[in-house]
Amino acid sequence: MKSFKKVVSLFLISALALGAFAGCGSKEAAKEEVKEEAKVLRVSMALGESEWEVMKEKVFPKFEEANNVKIEPLQIEPTDLITKLEAMKEADKMEIDIITQDNMALAQLVDKGLVEDLSEYRELIPAEIIPSLVPVGEFSDKLFFMPYRPNVEINLYNENKFNEYGLKPPTNWDELLEVAKTLKEKEGLGRVAIKGTLDANTTVQLFEFIRQAGGDPLVLNDEGSVKAYTFLQELYKYLSPDTKKADWNTMNKYLATESVYYGANWPFAVNVIVKDGEKEEIKPAMSFTGPVKKSRVLGGEVIGIPVGSQNKELAFEFMKYLMSKETQEILVSEMGWPAARTDAYGEVEEWQQPYFAAVNEAIQVAEARPNVVYWDVVDKALNDALREIAIEGKDVKETLDKYAAIIEEAKNK
Amino acid sequence: MNEIKKDKFGTVVNKISFPLLILFTIATLIPIYILIKVSISKPADVLTQHPTFLIHNFTTKHWSKVLASGKLWPAFNRSFTVASFTALFAIIIATPASYVISRLDKKVKYVVILSLFFTRMFPNVGIALPISVKFIKWNLIDSNLGLVLAHLIEQLPFITWILVGTFETIPVDLEKSAMIDGASRIRALISIVIPIATPGIAVAALYVWLNSWNEFTYALYLSLSENTLPLQVYYYINRGGFFQTATYATILAIPVALITYALQKHLKSDSLGGAIK
Repeated sequence: MKSFKKVVSLFLISALALGAFAGCGSKEAAKEEVKEEAKVLRVSMALGESEWEVMKEKVFPKFEEANNVKIEPLQIEPTDLITKLEAMKEADKMEIDIITQDNMALAQLVDKGLVEDLSEYRELIPAEIIPSLVPVGEFSDKLFFMPYRPNVEINLYNENKFNEYGLKPPTNWDELLEVAKTLKEKEGLGRVAIKGTLDANTTVQLFEFIRQAGGDPLVLNDEGSVKAYTFLQELYKYLSPDTKKADWNTMNKYLATESVYYGANWPFAVNVIVKDGEKEEIKPAMSFTGPVKKSRVLGGEVIGIPVGSQNKELAFEFMKYLMSKETQEILVSEMGWPAARTDAYGEVEEWQQPYFAAVNEAIQVAEARPNVVYWDVVDKALNDALREIAIEGKDVKETLDKYAAIIEEAKNK
Repeated sequence: MNEIKKDKFGTVVNKISFPLLILFTIATLIPIYILIKVSISKPADVLTQHPTFLIHNFTTKHWSKVLASGKLWPAFNRSFTVASFTALFAIIIATPASYVISRLDKKVKYVVILSLFFTRMFPNVGIALPISVKFIKWNLIDSNLGLVLAHLIEQLPFITWILVGTFETIPVDLEKSAMIDGASRIRALISIVIPIATPGIAVAALYVWLNSWNEFTYALYLSLSENTLPLQVYYYINRGGFFQTATYATILAIPVALITYALQKHLKSDSLGGAIK
């Protein structure tokens, strides 16, 4: 028995040692092999599993073949990317050649000098790219990022629950308030949610409400903003308690577990809730209109090149490839992403079609957020105003005047 | 009168201790059960307003998906290798160090222990960036060695402190007796002290292994193309994969259970019983 234990122990130790050291060796050997055969392009993206599959099977191979290159895909979430690039820049050893980044997390990359100024390569942007996507990558009149994937939130609702109470998805503010009231009345608990975590998630929703009322979020005490916050003060009473915890991630859980019957999220939610979660009763609803117009925030991803990238030439080639008609059509048909080009079309899977239609409808009314250097102040002011007005019940005009002054002060600095 | 009160109190304690133990065990096991349940249930059983406690519609779909994805074994292998080597190196380095510290004069001993803990006074997130910068310069990013070294930074002070406590409980007379019988100091340490300290060393090794197995911050900074298991869980949490998250979290817990079970025979409270007559 003792000798058996010894044999097992020795085996485990050997396996571990081999795993640790042979692993390093094989990795080095593989790198050497690749060096001889083709260059390696390290690409950072933040994608879901099914999206990675499309990239690896349908998008990367053509580029690899055409350029004799091996793409090494890196899954890095937007906030983690900033810290990783920071560490690599400080170490003067950039390990990533090209990044795609959520356009809600660009300011820090620019502020910290982590990405290359691409102004002189502006002509690489094809003429067919939707014009409104370009300013998203501009900061202080310089181009730091190139467009590749527009995105927009869509409204999702629980069809079964709506049918149960004879409700229809709201098409305007009055109907939204009515739906929220009815559901709270029937269930004793709010079932409509907005993303109310009082951070960037909430800012997106606030931008939409303010613009729907004809206001300017950078002014904040104009007539439209006052209308929006007055409406939100009224609506908040009937919202789900989950509102305070609802962000781009948790909203999926609330919709899937039926604690929320109506809420907005980015289209990736459809894969999580409908495809993986098999909740086919979660349907898309068209954007509702405010007193003045429909409006959504233009989100999505852009392409950048980290400072110190060791493969700039290849990175530019890959950038062009991502913006090409051929690639954009793959992204439309295989993933249901809206196209960044006016000439890219694709047929999505049947189950995705209603959601894709909702995305395309929302894209038509999407407006980019302004890239201002005092963005952090705007972000905080909008959310603090919501907290004071909707949660603490303070006077709308007085509160907005206070925060408008803070924004104005930051603007004039 | 006091004796009667004490007896009554003792009886009450005896009567409620077992039910309390049962309650505590249930409270500990329920979250683990729910985790496993989610990983083997059909979505309809989980994604509902009132999910049932018991498993009604069993499925291996989520496990099949995770096993077929090709992402499990590399992450598992990396986590297992890093955790095992971290525990091994930590024991090799900390055991002699702890023994020496435990035999120092009291005042000196506490200064040394306090200085060990001084390195742990800063949150990981705060020191992870400068450490990562150094490691990137040394080509240690995305390597097991880099992660082992990073984990040792965090674990060595703790394991040393645990083992100092262990060695302190071993009477010096035992070593002296062995040396009177002709053993050298090293021989006395290897033949007398270490065997008695085995339970403590096992606990410390287990503690380090678990901490390394679950470590997240350094793994996040020092991994690019190869994830550890906690990073895989983080990925699915971020991407909203309810079932993959539960499956990976269950997988993350399996080796922990096995290693704890394997080491439990060393975790005896009366290991020093009968050492000195």
